[in-house]
Amino acid sequence: MKQIMIHPERCVGCMQCMAACAAAHSRSGHLFAATLESPLPKPRIHVGSGLWEEGFPNRCRHCDPAPCLFACLPGAIFRDEKTNTVRVDPDRCINCASCAMACPFGVIRYHAVPFRGGKKVVAVKCDNCIERQGRGEIPACVEVCKSGALTFEESGEAMKRKTDAVSRSVSAGAEGTELPEGFSLLRAIKKARLQLQERR
Amino acid sequence: MSRKEENRTITKDGQLLLEKAHRDGVVTAWDRHEAQQPHCGYCEMGLSCRICVMGPCRIDPFKEGPQVGVCGADADIIVARNLGRMIAAGAASHSDHGRDLVEVLENVALGKGEGYGIKDEAKLKKVAAEYGISAEGKDVRMIAGELAHAMQEDYGTRKKALTLISRAPEKRRDIWKKLGIVPRGIDRETSEMMHRTHMGVDNDWVSILLHAMRNALSDGWGGSLIASEVSDILFGTPQPKPTSANVGVLKEDQVNIIVHGHNPVVSEMVLLAAGSDALLDLAVEKGAKGINVAGVCCTGNELLMRHGVPMAGNHLTTELVLATGAVEMMIVDYQCIMPSLGTVASCYHTKMISTSDKAKFPGMEHREFYPDNAREMAQTLVKEAVENYGRRGEIYLPVAPVDAVGGFSVEAILGALGGTPGPLLDAIKAGKIRGAAGVVGCNNPKIKQDYGHVTLIRRLIENDILVVDTGCAAVATAKAGLKTAEAARFAGPGLQEICGALKIPPVLHMGSCVDNVRILVLASALADALGTDISDLPIAGAAPEWYSEKAAAIGTYFVASGVYTVLGPMPPITGSMNVVKLLTQGLNDVVGATFAVEPDPEKAAVLIRRHIEVKREKLGLSSVKV
Amino acid sequence: MEYVIIGNGIAGVSAAESIRPIDREGRITMIGDETFPPYCRPMISMVLEGAVGSDRLPIRGADFYERLDIRPLLGARVSEIDVDGKTVITEKGEAVSFDRLLIASGADPRPIKAEGLDLKNIFFMRTEAHVRGMERALPDVRRALVLGGGLVGFKAAYGLMCRGIEVTLLIRSGHPLSMQADAAAGKMILEKLTGRGLDVRTGLAVTAFSGKGRVRQAHLTDGSELPCDLAVIGKGVLPSRSFIPRDHIDLDLGVLVDDYLETNVSGIFAAGDVAETTDIARRSRWVNAIWPEAEAQGRIAGMNMAGQKIRYGGSLSRNVIRIFDTDILTAGIVTPESDAVYTAIQSKDPLYGTYRKMVFREDRLVGAVLVNRIEQGGVLTALIRSQMPITIEKERLLDPLFNVKMLMKQ
Repeated sequence: MKQIMIHPERCVGCMQCMAACAAAHSRSGHLFAATLESPLPKPRIHVGSGLWEEGFPNRCRHCDPAPCLFACLPGAIFRDEKTNTVRVDPDRCINCASCAMACPFGVIRYHAVPFRGGKKVVAVKCDNCIERQGRGEIPACVEVCKSGALTFEESGEAMKRKTDAVSRSVSAGAEGTELPEGFSLLRAIKKARLQLQERR
Repeated sequence: MSRKEENRTITKDGQLLLEKAHRDGVVTAWDRHEAQQPHCGYCEMGLSCRICVMGPCRIDPFKEGPQVGVCGADADIIVARNLGRMIAAGAASHSDHGRDLVEVLENVALGKGEGYGIKDEAKLKKVAAEYGISAEGKDVRMIAGELAHAMQEDYGTRKKALTLISRAPEKRRDIWKKLGIVPRGIDRETSEMMHRTHMGVDNDWVSILLHAMRNALSDGWGGSLIASEVSDILFGTPQPKPTSANVGVLKEDQVNIIVHGHNPVVSEMVLLAAGSDALLDLAVEKGAKGINVAGVCCTGNELLMRHGVPMAGNHLTTELVLATGAVEMMIVDYQCIMPSLGTVASCYHTKMISTSDKAKFPGMEHREFYPDNAREMAQTLVKEAVENYGRRGEIYLPVAPVDAVGGFSVEAILGALGGTPGPLLDAIKAGKIRGAAGVVGCNNPKIKQDYGHVTLIRRLIENDILVVDTGCAAVATAKAGLKTAEAARFAGPGLQEICGALKIPPVLHMGSCVDNVRILVLASALADALGTDISDLPIAGAAPEWYSEKAAAIGTYFVASGVYTVLGPMPPITGSMNVVKLLTQGLNDVVGATFAVEPDPEKAAVLIRRHIEVKREKLGLSSVKV
Repeated sequence: MEYVIIGNGIAGVSAAESIRPIDREGRITMIGDETFPPYCRPMISMVLEGAVGSDRLPIRGADFYERLDIRPLLGARVSEIDVDGKTVITEKGEAVSFDRLLIASGADPRPIKAEGLDLKNIFFMRTEAHVRGMERALPDVRRALVLGGGLVGFKAAYGLMCRGIEVTLLIRSGHPLSMQADAAAGKMILEKLTGRGLDVRTGLAVTAFSGKGRVRQAHLTDGSELPCDLAVIGKGVLPSRSFIPRDHIDLDLGVLVDDYLETNVSGIFAAGDVAETTDIARRSRWVNAIWPEAEAQGRIAGMNMAGQKIRYGGSLSRNVIRIFDTDILTAGIVTPESDAVYTAIQSKDPLYGTYRKMVFREDRLVGAVLVNRIEQGGVLTALIRSQMPITIEKERLLDPLFNVKMLMKQ
């Protein structure tokens, strides 16, 4: 089964995945129209900043077992076995935020969605773009990610790529997986600058 | 005080006011900077292109996604185009500022513009002569009129070369000629940059960057230089004057008016109005002891240079100063005025006034200034500020101001040296002064406020490098107490001796950010005296906390004029290592100077010292290994 | 194998659900005094509030017992456990023998001493039946009195306010939820509630209720009287353990269990509100009577009863509360007693309208309070659970923009 894989070292922090995710979960499905909708669609993938202001795409891992599923009071969180997706039933959800205490990744948000007139606030999280997948499309966040930080592939395949990359770099005598020179330069400068901030 | 405030600024007033702003629920640039994290990497690397609507496009730095835009532009072209446009915007800003001054000069010549006049006739005549305008048999207004028109031609397309590049050393002008980057018209080069970077025009990244240098030179030897010179003609050439700095310059028992922005055209009139007896009487009537005009940002520097008006702070203090609750009115013109200021002011009684037809802001009342109404408008505004004194709530002025001396125009420096650069050159030759550095530029929430400026400058003067500074850098060192004659004790023994003899501070305030051209003019004078080029001198430039497009233009005209320049924050160029390498290495063979990027001021100081010693060695002067 | 589960709350239900897939043959008997199908206890306050209909309370279908092949003995309380005879005896005198026993009898509301408690419209708030009773009474209620500023009292007061009823809350300490929230968050909660009209009185108790048939007045310790036509007693809960033989099964406040949720008697387990487990943050025995722990303990106890050796990692007190437009999430130790052992840091951020407090024992996080922007609460709770040393600057955890990536140094 193909899954969304995150390669955080490649995240450039452009937040395009956020916009695409929000649009994909809007009524219209289109970015421009989506920004005019009410409730305003919101992303289910969240690009945060790490210690060195590096981008970090954070989304539901669809854990198995899933702590949010156990913690859900009304039994609104369930697993879609076919796609291995942990989902929230907006009808059953009572917006109690018990799942906020349970999620070790902090990826669940609470807001209105286009459901029942868009008035009900519910727990919202990544649904692996099940609807898009049903139409033969890949998840929206992966589609717009141009730096390869998000991919949609068999987990075995991704693992193999990573192993290959490591062995290539080891045989080339380099350390770890290589990042492009300019990108490493930017990261190094940012890190140096941030360490400066702490200096007394 | 929490770690947060201490990590944001080294200034005591800044830390305390940040704490207060936080308590008052005021959101600052630092908060917004944090909320923006992570910044978009494509944009940070210069790899996103919004130039045309076949796009927008971006290049994947990891080489998996797209490597060219829709038009076919690769990373090198996109990065170069973006940088070119950045420099064009910077050059346009300074030059448009200069244009406004030329307009005032023209109005004065026509007998309009009440309140304005020619303060420095000698300079008027000197500059007019450079433009080939003879003063003979002409009255001041006639000369002024001719000069204004001649300068307006520099803005246009009728010239093969800008008039004032004649001030650059001949060797330098030859390099520009050879490279085909002699600036022709001030507006022309900016306009051409916009043209070249339109889709389907210049797609040779080297050629774009060469024009970027020409564009920057049209600022440094054109727009900015005209701005500085005409300001001197209209308002007087600065001479050393005592002043003071930090938010402590606000007075608890006076009406406080802050001028913010860049152009002296508005702030000079405000200062004039604040001195009027009628308004002072009104202030007393309202229970105040007087009217206190203070500056932030560069229009403050303009007043400081010419009148010793105190400085309340630099770029990142512009929001905090309002949190004192002690500002009756803030009057802004343009550039570097955060659109957040209206919101900040709404938490206090401060009246916010915008004055330029090209710079309007949310939460500000717009009261337009023209040369014709400026004097009267300034009177009206100062009166309103006085009337606002009674609405003042609790105030918080937690620090005492720091003394400083400002006003070191080139004329003033040469004057202090006895009329020629000789004594300075002798000190350099003798090794008492190793060299000189121009430290310029802004504040940027990416660097702890003033840490970059103050640390770098302290290290430089400790090592006998004379520092001249401008803009927000100059305000940083004034707040840090490095701008008094007594501050010579922080300097190395050689520099200390020279400062003592001349009774000058080791860090000389040369003015606002358009006044960076004063540094170029001084460098040219030194080069001419030695019969050499600027790039041969033991000098360097630095912008440790730069943020703006104007700073990008300044840095580029420094380098194109032969000054090695160290930047603190990284410009958006890392998407093309070709561009990075050209700017940091390749340019040395082209213009005899390069950029360097080093956010750590301790390390930047080492780079500058090393550069200066290498140049000394090449000049056959004593040198040490750094 | 004979499994007997005392209690049909979430601990009992989870236990049955984890036993059944492992042991398809064994006989499971569940004894419970509540006759409704398994329902979600924390949601009853939301029913009172009117946010959720009572039809949403059941968490398992009516066929729960049938589907898992469980013999239900409902409407019955256990009166005695014969440890040697491996038999449970109900109040009705029915004897059920067991090989494995789970005590998941939960907790009962802490009673108060006052006259007139037999009047109508005086309620505890613990069971579905209580809330259904309150709902029936609501149309005629204009003023209510709530006793106790703990979680139950607070939720009752909030629920009644949401129904447009004037509420007076009697609390012992200066702010409600003193067990769950620290003083700063408690004050914020109090301000929210009083801002919306809640009448709060501190340091007072009720000596008597009076009225004709149904409650009309409450008489307070300071001699004053308060008119009210409904009263809720929310003074917390006590483990339901009267039937447990102290001479055989080790008891403290709750039933003591080991890391496998087994009592000192082999084959007898305990889970949920009645169990006293090791508290991860406090590093001592503690009764953490909260739903998610009951669920986890029931699930793990069930597996151990069915022969799988699964370790329980300890319990952690935590809560999430939403009142009006304010969210409060707390976990672990929020008001440390000893400065020598714990350090606490806190900050308010006006930009995000947040308040955060973190409590550390050396370099480990042991407590957290979040007011608003609670989405990262699970990350912090996981940090407390794992007792992973915090190697980044501790202040980072207070940042409203804190996220899981910041825990990674690279």
